[in-house]
Amino acid sequence: MKISTKGIYALEVAVDLAIYADNEQRMSIRSVAERRKLSEKYLERIVSMLKKKGIVKSTRGAYGGYCLARDPKEILVLDVLMAAEGDLAPVQCLTKETDCGIDCEGCATRGTWNHIWELIKNAVDSISIAQIKELAEKKQEVSGGVQ
Amino acid sequence: MRISTKGRYGLRALVDLASHAQEDAVSLVHVAQRQKVSLNYLEQVFATLRKAGIVKSQKGAQGGYMLARRPEEIKVGEILGALEGSFSIVDEVRGKEGQDAIQSAIQELVWDRINRSVNEFLEQSTLAELVEQYKRLQSGEGAMYYI
Repeated sequence: MKISTKGIYALEVAVDLAIYADNEQRMSIRSVAERRKLSEKYLERIVSMLKKKGIVKSTRGAYGGYCLARDPKEILVLDVLMAAEGDLAPVQCLTKETDCGIDCEGCATRGTWNHIWELIKNAVDSISIAQIKELAEKKQEVSGGVQ
Repeated sequence: MRISTKGRYGLRALVDLASHAQEDAVSLVHVAQRQKVSLNYLEQVFATLRKAGIVKSQKGAQGGYMLARRPEEIKVGEILGALEGSFSIVDEVRGKEGQDAIQSAIQELVWDRINRSVNEFLEQSTLAELVEQYKRLQSGEGAMYYI
């Protein structure tokens, strides 16, 4: 049971944009890719998923580029992870109909999976991109200043 | 993010076995029928559980599997650990030393929180609790909220 690299990088990109970009200064895919040490192609895929879910926005043109679509205080970790990963439930049958052969009502383990799913959501549901940004900036100061 | 088939079917089958085993060993044939899992697959799963010291096998006409210890002493975390490996929401992509400020902030505020919360639950909940819950479902008393 894992969050994939897609989800991991999506979260990193959202925090990166929160730190380095805003409405006045959009970021190009290239500069984010350089900072995050990701290929531009891969990053483009991640950013377009985030765009679809209204987490980042983009403008074309000479001064075009990307920034977060909303205040980072309003973007929750769970939104970003869901945007990148689709369904996050530890087992599919919690959110979709599946045919495992037995009746959900009599399932020996559904309660356990459901509980794990709740724990995962609860652990991060109040954490916003702004909070991660704040902590990252604090860590950056300690280790030698913002780039 | 998914619990693997082995973890899903394995835990379900073990709860089934534990609910039906009293003094005697339970044949996997019956578990397979009740849980709609192939016998072949169950045999693999139970070989893993036996190596982990969670079940023991009994040969002969009345042969089959039984719990190696009291269900109160078997933690769900131990079972999933044997079937899936220990729970961690992300694979360690880089060592903690190799993380930059953004990654280290995400680690602290997101991944560590999820891991701590889920692992705490897995170390607390026991097979006995799952069996009790399952028996309640089977007797038609309906779902009790799982704490």
